Amino acid sequence: MQNLESSCLGSFLFSKVNRYCKENGLRAVQLIRTSCEELRSYCVTFMLGRGLKRKLSDYEENMAGLSSAFDSSRNLPYPLKRQLVLNMCLTKLQTYKMLVEPNLHRSVLIANTVRQIQEEMRQESNQQPINVCPGITPSTQSYTGMESSGISLQLPSGISQQESNCCDLRSVEDPIENSLLIVSDDDMSSAISSILKDLDFVEDISPPTCLVPTGDDQPKFPENTGLKLEDDRQDLKGAECVFGSFEISNSTSYLKDLAIDDIFEDIDTSMYDSDFCCPPLMPPRPPSLATEEPLKTFPSCNSSSASNIQLCRTDLSELDHIMEILVGS
Amino acid sequence: MSHKQVGAPPGESAVDWCLYQLNGAAEFEVSEADIISTVEFNHTGELLATGDKGGRVVIFQREPESKNEPYNQGEYNVYSTFQSHEPEFDYLKSLEIEEKINKIKWLPQQNAAHSLLSTNDKTIKLWKITERDKRPEGYNLKDEEGKLKDLSTVTSLQVPVLKPMDLMVEVTPRRIFANGHTYHVNSISVNSDCETYMSADDLRINLWHLAITDRSFNIVDIKPANMEDLTEVITASEFHPHHCNLFVYSSSKGSLRLCDMRASALCDKHSKLYEEPEDPSNRSFFSEIISSVSDVKFSHSGRYMLTRDYLTVKVWDLNMETKPVETYQVHDYLRSKLCSLYENDCIFDKFECAWNGSDSVIMTGAYNNFFRMFDRNTKRDVTLEASRESSKPRAILKPRRVCVGGKRRKDDISVDSLDFTKKILHTAWHPTENIIAIAATNNLYIFQDKVNSEMH
Repeated sequence: MQNLESSCLGSFLFSKVNRYCKENGLRAVQLIRTSCEELRSYCVTFMLGRGLKRKLSDYEENMAGLSSAFDSSRNLPYPLKRQLVLNMCLTKLQTYKMLVEPNLHRSVLIANTVRQIQEEMRQESNQQPINVCPGITPSTQSYTGMESSGISLQLPSGISQQESNCCDLRSVEDPIENSLLIVSDDDMSSAISSILKDLDFVEDISPPTCLVPTGDDQPKFPENTGLKLEDDRQDLKGAECVFGSFEISNSTSYLKDLAIDDIFEDIDTSMYDSDFCCPPLMPPRPPSLATEEPLKTFPSCNSSSASNIQLCRTDLSELDHIMEILVGS
Repeated sequence: MSHKQVGAPPGESAVDWCLYQLNGAAEFEVSEADIISTVEFNHTGELLATGDKGGRVVIFQREPESKNEPYNQGEYNVYSTFQSHEPEFDYLKSLEIEEKINKIKWLPQQNAAHSLLSTNDKTIKLWKITERDKRPEGYNLKDEEGKLKDLSTVTSLQVPVLKPMDLMVEVTPRRIFANGHTYHVNSISVNSDCETYMSADDLRINLWHLAITDRSFNIVDIKPANMEDLTEVITASEFHPHHCNLFVYSSSKGSLRLCDMRASALCDKHSKLYEEPEDPSNRSFFSEIISSVSDVKFSHSGRYMLTRDYLTVKVWDLNMETKPVETYQVHDYLRSKLCSLYENDCIFDKFECAWNGSDSVIMTGAYNNFFRMFDRNTKRDVTLEASRESSKPRAILKPRRVCVGGKRRKDDISVDSLDFTKKILHTAWHPTENIIAIAATNNLYIFQDKVNSEMH
């Protein structure tokens, strides 16, 4: 279930980033800022178990809040902690990139940390068994289970009953999570490579070539960097060919079989689709369960799962576009 | 004899530290250029040099003992101040080169003059410090002020005589070792042969001859062919105190490499690799970052090496590569705060470490203007503070304690109240006596052993 939460959050963040980017054309740093702020609200709320008004506070305050959340909370799920650290690393690398003379020592240490996290994520996705089970039957129950308890502190207890179902659920969610991660893995490697290449500018008189991560549908990129990217993709595809097919053109059958859209049909995603700046405080539909409070804070998580799956199917290229902004010059 | 030393219960530290001197402006008047960036005693301990961010070097000299003024014993007075490095602009790369003095190393004294090497990020300079306390008087052609005399007034010849004058300290740059480094110089070390020295930057180490400025030998190069493969940088290096062919360098991955220059011209291949396997129970996202060694120092005996990483100091035996012989926790209470410290970049702070003259006590700095000392024999440690408020001259320093929750004693400070902007990165220990120099931002504290000072 931890994977579900983080995948939910991860996809939630990525979709928000996606939307925000499309609507406002923001710069990379601000995108990361936004995602960090979301993470912060999530972390604090996760710990406190109640709704938290989202403050439009300082970037620094956000980051400080995030890192102290990391330090003080033991209940923070591991993937979330990892995502937090990853965010911080990428932010730092981005900041260093903008400096005239970045500190080589620090850049190397941060790059190594990112690589380490990447490797961990890669190994995890390798180990996850993929149950390509056609027609997951207990679906309604497991999904309502997820809906009702939301992403709340009660979640762990609710899982044990539905473990078998959740296993299937996980297998559905993980491809999403992991394919998102696969995309970011490539881009992260490219980001690190480009940063380290930039650090070599002192010896290399020619201007540094920036490895711009691109999606499959954007053929225009420098020859050698494109080759490297392709190689990475090939490797990953080789290792995780199950996920490799998670693309628009040839999505695997399990997705179609699941008819997830039907399940999430009744969730009102209008609030999510509306103006981005509104904090998602009130759920669109009245929750009729005891776990009302936690649900209040995470309706967008629920709705985003549904919309996200759709987004994933259709917006991978847009994600690439975001990463391009995040990583590109 | 102080009563504290005699009859002190076994296990009690016999050394009481008290503030001897404090140099520097009050903290609210700090300007960035005044921040001390390095501290170094010379080989006799008579001179103490400090470098600051503004490129200046200040040399203090210890007052010689004199029976007439017993209270001025061993006071370090300003001997000389000079501008060592100026800010430079590299036009080719459009980069500003900081004038901050990264390291100062004294050369062993070979004549009446003193010499030291000072370095910023790119250029190393050799300075000669001489004294002048006599001047010739009675020139025939010039008068007292140096103006040419009217020849008609000169009636007889005289031989100029040397007359005493007020002491004047002259500092002159004798050598400038430039253009040797592409990356930032982090350490310099004078060889025991007194003819050569080495300078290390992030990826390379160069060997220079003190008399030759237009050439240097590259002895270590860890730059990969493809910068994308870079995972490790050099963080510190030092020559062995007795064996002129041996030197050690530390890396950002927490390893030490001992190299023998007799083995080959390029010492990329180490003779010994000192590395401790990671403790799996302490593993975190920041494990690698906190394992980066910020300083390495040979013991005076040459048998051991002292390293400092973010949370610990370790003593390594040159004969044992698998693990350090001793590990001391400097501020383990920060282990649960690593994310916050990473966020505010404190996790990258580079603390130095020092041995005492007999290699029995090691010292290093920490946050909140605290510094720590570890007695290797008694295994006792103490935390002391360098601050204006808590240090009255000649008053004994009170040990400080950081509490991590649980029982809290009076005067304890909690982890959350620590001031992470007050960091003691640079410390130095007198080569023979119990005198230490602590740099806290722009202030230089000199602490002495109470016994030491009372005996004079």
